Amino acid sequence: MTKLRHYNGNPQKNSPALGATLAYLGVNGLLALLHGSQGCSSFIRLQLSRHYKEPIPLNSTALLEESVIFGGWDHLKKGIAVAADKYKPQIIGVMSSGLTETYGDDMVSALASLRTERPDLQDLPVVLAGTPDYIGSMQEGYQRTVEALLMTLAGQSNYGAGKLQGIPKADGAEIPSVVLLPGCHLTPGDVDELKEIVSSFGFKVITVPDLSISLDGHAELEAAPVVQGGTLLEEFQRLPECKACFSFGLSMEKSGEFLKNTFGVPHVNFPSLTGLTATDKFILTLAEISGKEIPEKLLRQRSRLLDTLADYHDALGGQKVAIALEMDLLYSLGSCLVEVGSEISVALAASLGAGNTPALPIPIEVGDLETLEERAGQSNLIIANSNGRQAAGALKIPHLRAGLPVFDRAGYPQKCWIGYQGTQLFLFDTLNSLS
Amino acid sequence: MFTNLTKLDLKDKQCMSDAGSPKLCMKALPGEGAERSCAYDGARVVLMPITDVAHLVHGPIACAGNSWDNRGARSSGSQLFRRGLTTDIMENDVIYGGELKLRESILEVAAKHNPKAIFVYATCVSSLIGDDVDKVCRDVAAELTIPVISVNCPGFLGDKNIGNRIAGEVLFDRVIGTAEGTEEKIPLSINLIGEYNIAGDLWGVLPDLKNLGIKLQTAITGDAKFDDIRSAHRASLNVLICSKSLTNLVRKMEIRYGIPFIEGSFYGIHDTSQTLISIAKALNDPDLLERTLVYVQKKEEETRQIIAGYKKLLENKRAILFTGGVKTWSMVSTLAELGINILAGGTQNSTPEDFQRMKELMDPTAQIIEDTSSAGFLKIIAEKKPDLIVAGGKTKYLAHKTRTPFLDINHGRKLPYAGYQGMITFAEALTRTVLSPVWGHLKGDFPPREGELQDDKAQTL
Repeated sequence: MTKLRHYNGNPQKNSPALGATLAYLGVNGLLALLHGSQGCSSFIRLQLSRHYKEPIPLNSTALLEESVIFGGWDHLKKGIAVAADKYKPQIIGVMSSGLTETYGDDMVSALASLRTERPDLQDLPVVLAGTPDYIGSMQEGYQRTVEALLMTLAGQSNYGAGKLQGIPKADGAEIPSVVLLPGCHLTPGDVDELKEIVSSFGFKVITVPDLSISLDGHAELEAAPVVQGGTLLEEFQRLPECKACFSFGLSMEKSGEFLKNTFGVPHVNFPSLTGLTATDKFILTLAEISGKEIPEKLLRQRSRLLDTLADYHDALGGQKVAIALEMDLLYSLGSCLVEVGSEISVALAASLGAGNTPALPIPIEVGDLETLEERAGQSNLIIANSNGRQAAGALKIPHLRAGLPVFDRAGYPQKCWIGYQGTQLFLFDTLNSLS
Repeated sequence: MFTNLTKLDLKDKQCMSDAGSPKLCMKALPGEGAERSCAYDGARVVLMPITDVAHLVHGPIACAGNSWDNRGARSSGSQLFRRGLTTDIMENDVIYGGELKLRESILEVAAKHNPKAIFVYATCVSSLIGDDVDKVCRDVAAELTIPVISVNCPGFLGDKNIGNRIAGEVLFDRVIGTAEGTEEKIPLSINLIGEYNIAGDLWGVLPDLKNLGIKLQTAITGDAKFDDIRSAHRASLNVLICSKSLTNLVRKMEIRYGIPFIEGSFYGIHDTSQTLISIAKALNDPDLLERTLVYVQKKEEETRQIIAGYKKLLENKRAILFTGGVKTWSMVSTLAELGINILAGGTQNSTPEDFQRMKELMDPTAQIIEDTSSAGFLKIIAEKKPDLIVAGGKTKYLAHKTRTPFLDINHGRKLPYAGYQGMITFAEALTRTVLSPVWGHLKGDFPPREGELQDDKAQTL
């Protein structure tokens, strides 16, 4: 794309470290530690808090001026040690920031040096994710962090908890496990549905990371500085035994390939789970791998979706929809709308994405919400995060909230727009926004 | 490129090192989870409410991307200040420098948005890679007809408070007193310093000022226009609302322009009246003072009458207060007005003076919150079991997990709480949350424990 201007006006991007925080929030017992100044973590807490309506536990190495001169290496060591002593987490997850990546703190050597000084921390799992603020958006930060989680924790049995066995069935055979790697375009509500669908084929499910039980907004008894809910440490250890790995969103492909190449777990990537075709592909794969019939419930949902397509094909057909979202979500919702006869008039991604670029009938460009405002004039609907409200307001075009942050509509994190039933709901939401 | 921290009046007085007292320039320990913010955040809080200027952040996406348009500052005119504008520093800029990109960005923003001025914020990364933001701004300003003002506020300089003060310096050095025309003082005119018009707070106070014949020259910076701030030196009096964070600004304005300053607060009946009376006294107009004394008495009576019903409902409830700035102490008397007892109080971004003042106003038995991390906050809630929590939005969802009524009094709120009208709104909001039927539902066990009859539970609701 030709760069139209030098500045980013009304950014739709979130920082990669925010994506990293999101990934860490799906891991049980983890304490997330941002290696940066206190503002970096403060802004992330606020942004995620107003989206999820949840407290966001995120610690910081609180860098100040002298670290700019001497580097933050010692601060990182101190930060890990203090956090480990004060909060006793099961895992510590570190992510870097623009500040620390610019002066090039070597996180790996800092951790190694700390472990020499503090042998008692030898067995504490510490994940290090490099997420400089100046490369990519939320999606890239999330992606890098899931990769770091898998590389550090998958199949590692030397960390604390002993090795677990698969769950035995009555006849003595184990229930086969599959691992799901949801991208950051899936809400806790989406992940919940995803697990349900996969379980209905008789699989035991391990989800990395699992936001559906940590950020699903339940009234847990006590908020804590470490993550409650999410993937268990023991589950990471069991990943090599899984029968298959499914990754969702192109950004998760590399993580799935890592499990395949390292442990020989067969891997299939699904760029989208929204739309009839995308869901069909997923359900057929599940049926094939499990050797089971497609459950009646899913067939019923599919049939309802078909009926909705027939009932509303005219209302959806020819609608011009302008979308500005992170790459994977943009593709998921965009391809679903194309499938029902709508026209994508503008397709702006927050960043290029680190995987392959998916294809829509019009080219996907990287752009901000000021560009959306300039180009969406002839559209019937805008799909963007809540910050798209300035563009939608100026153009007087209806605005369907999606992505992150969504702070001015209730219930987005619990919304499910995947699978047959979720696709139906997405089409209803689209239609209701138009009317 | 260096900000001279000694210029910022960081040590107004000798250091007070009481437990729980916020320490300026204090170094937070890595990993302890203090959850404060940075100097860039402090600077943007002060400057970004200026409505008709463009605020351009020279940094990677983390600085502006996660934070733009997220405060409740309201404008009666231009909405330009709500635009998120950033140079979005990328990997190549880190390697080759971002000055050229910044220069082009300033020119493009000026052409597209037609601002009255452009504030350019330096950040950690732009400072580290050695971009001379100040020079770029000066060079570009020479090509444009509007001021281009650099704000040197990389986050690593310190916490929010330092950023507030840097912003004050910028306003003093680059904006105030730059208007053309007469320098003459406007009679009975004031500036409200540190009033950011959160949720329209300022608009709750304006009618009172107008009724008394006091002219608001400008707020710094709620609903402010750039040109009004340029003429801020023509006001007869500075009224410092958000307490100490802009002390350096009012002190310097006193020396250079001979404008005296007083401190005040518009939260609560008592503080609102006191502030109006102090303004009248400081403006040295006997007629105004007489008017004001009559006016505040009338307003106090009216307001107390309206909130009497709420007071009855809230009386003797026990609260935990956790906030920053002027609200640290002003909220103590506001809650007292409603008959609410404070079990514990704490602060994060206030000055030691604000903190002392809060401590003096609180009941001596009230506990001071020393550990300001989420963990410390949860611990004190568990110990004290308050009927309500009054704090900033950051702690809102944490408080909800403890199933305790919560009122947000910081920048995320939707309702104005300043002035007499604000007190009524505050009392309404507090009553709504404390008496909400949902807390009863949240506290019961499900399924009910043996011996606990469903009927009993229904009665407690």
